[in-house]
Amino acid sequence: MNKTTDSWEILHIPDKPPTPPDQQPTVNVFASVIEPKLTNTLVRRLNQIAPLEALRHVKRVQKKYLEGGKTQLSVILCLACENDNQLDSMPHGVQELVNFYQLSPFITKVCKFDALSKEEWEEQCKLWPTSYHPPTYNIDGITGFGQEDSQSVFSFMKFAVELAKSDHGLVVNAAVIVDPSVKQVIASACDESCCWNTPTNKTSIRPCSLKQPEACISHPDSNIVVTHDSLLPNGSTTKLEQLCTGVSCLYPWQWSEKQPHTPNSCYWHPLRHAALVAIESSAARDRQLFSGLGDFEDKSSELDHMQSSFTSSPAKRQKINLNNVEDDEKLDTLTEGHHCISARPYLCTGYDIYLVWEPCTMCAMALVHQRIRRIFYAFPNLNAGALGSVYRLQGEKSLNHRFAVFRVLLPEEVLDVKL
Amino acid sequence: MASPGEECSPDTFAFMELAIQQAKLALDSLEVPVGCVIVEDGKVIASGRNQTTETRNATRHAEMEAIDVLLEGWQRNGLSKLEVAKKISKCYLYVTCEPCIMCAAALSILGIKEVFYGCANDKFGGCGSILSLNLGRSEPCESGAVPQGKGFKCNGGIMASEAVSLLRTFYEQGNPNAPKPHRPLAHQATR
Ligand SMILES: [Zn+2]
Ligand SMILES: [Zn+2]
Repeated sequence: MNKTTDSWEILHIPDKPPTPPDQQPTVNVFASVIEPKLTNTLVRRLNQIAPLEALRHVKRVQKKYLEGGKTQLSVILCLACENDNQLDSMPHGVQELVNFYQLSPFITKVCKFDALSKEEWEEQCKLWPTSYHPPTYNIDGITGFGQEDSQSVFSFMKFAVELAKSDHGLVVNAAVIVDPSVKQVIASACDESCCWNTPTNKTSIRPCSLKQPEACISHPDSNIVVTHDSLLPNGSTTKLEQLCTGVSCLYPWQWSEKQPHTPNSCYWHPLRHAALVAIESSAARDRQLFSGLGDFEDKSSELDHMQSSFTSSPAKRQKINLNNVEDDEKLDTLTEGHHCISARPYLCTGYDIYLVWEPCTMCAMALVHQRIRRIFYAFPNLNAGALGSVYRLQGEKSLNHRFAVFRVLLPEEVLDVKL
Repeated sequence: MASPGEECSPDTFAFMELAIQQAKLALDSLEVPVGCVIVEDGKVIASGRNQTTETRNATRHAEMEAIDVLLEGWQRNGLSKLEVAKKISKCYLYVTCEPCIMCAAALSILGIKEVFYGCANDKFGGCGSILSLNLGRSEPCESGAVPQGKGFKCNGGIMASEAVSLLRTFYEQGNPNAPKPHRPLAHQATR
């Protein structure tokens, strides 16, 4: 077991794939020069029929200064196929607009991702104007991990990997929520989409110390993995896929095809992915530890649920802020004599989660809702991963919760699976 | 996608009215007022309302509550996975607010037939506002790969003003017990 630690490594998965400023990935779009007086009408229509959701940093309209003090406006009509110069690939609604206003569409390139630096932004605007929002947050680890922190990360990831080796000879996903300030496991869970009555202690919600994960590594369960060797000739992806079919986040849509390994008496639930189960455990722990608090609740959870538009007018904002002042006073009175109350965490704010596989979209968004601060995963999820593989939620500016994503590179033999 | 009132039967409004009732129940318990019902063969077979505050679990959105009711009931009646999948593929969801990214992903995983929603969710919406998970396979994505997954039909803007006014009531009345939020509200309101 000690052979492994040296080759472990932690990589930050940034808001977008890293590239030199002048080699940023681009996408093709259809654009057209337009009459200035049509701008509002066209932009409104286009935002309805061809919203550029994946390109929110890109400005819809480009203003060019021509010779003689004239300006020329161009608008992005819609996305274009990468290797297709045919104008007939435009959606029907856009085509109608083009015909109606007699536009002359052309294909041009825009930058695919937000600029992360001023240099990138300047390069981007040479192609087509974008907006730039400098990062305003800093999360431990983005600039690197010290020796002690790295060891702690590896240790919790090992714990998660051991959990992921299920009793059925398959690998599942596992999630471990950790309070890094005290290096304590808050909750841990495995996928329960096939069955969630397993008589294991893996979903324990009891907080345990850092020592416990290490002890788990020599758990008899790990013997199961040895048996995979015979199943798994080197490089056999078919066998690998078979081994991992139990990982809910990898195959979220295949739940109905999976046969349960357990008797009918056992409940299954296609959405009980490890991350959701772990969140549920941590919420249960929260309710248990702080049960005396009753209806004493936090407003920001509610704000998290919906959009800003309901608090957007200055008058409303002021009102809510006033409420908060009063609330603070109430909070002070309430907390007197209950010193533990002030320590009640707000959801999973400040906590980390360790996942063996990159979470699917559902799980990744659940972690955002629950305010997890750092997400560590070992293996990317090319089927459905939402933190870098298929989507990249950490780059979604509209999500008002800032979090950081890391991949922990493991030696291949950790799962005894070539990945 | 957001075609308010268009091709909506009186039933659509009746079911949305029931979803709004659920949202009102949420409001009564100081939760963000979002509610939903799930309909099969013209009958409501499950309902749910947002319960994130009470549970301390920010994933307990109305849709997830209703889905849990359904799955539990069907399994109690001994339905197999395939039978459940088949039934869900005939179900309609009526929800007062556009499903968030998490719920939209969940609905895609389950394979729901169609979603009717009230107001858009421009911070977290997963049916067109931020991501379009309802489009399933057809949606191009960042990595250039075409994501897998089932799509579902989505109709927005149904009785949106009722849904919005409940939310507005909630945010304006404030929560008398709320401690200071962890982020300045002004930041919330910048968009
Ligand atoms: Zn998942
Ligand atoms: Zn939701």
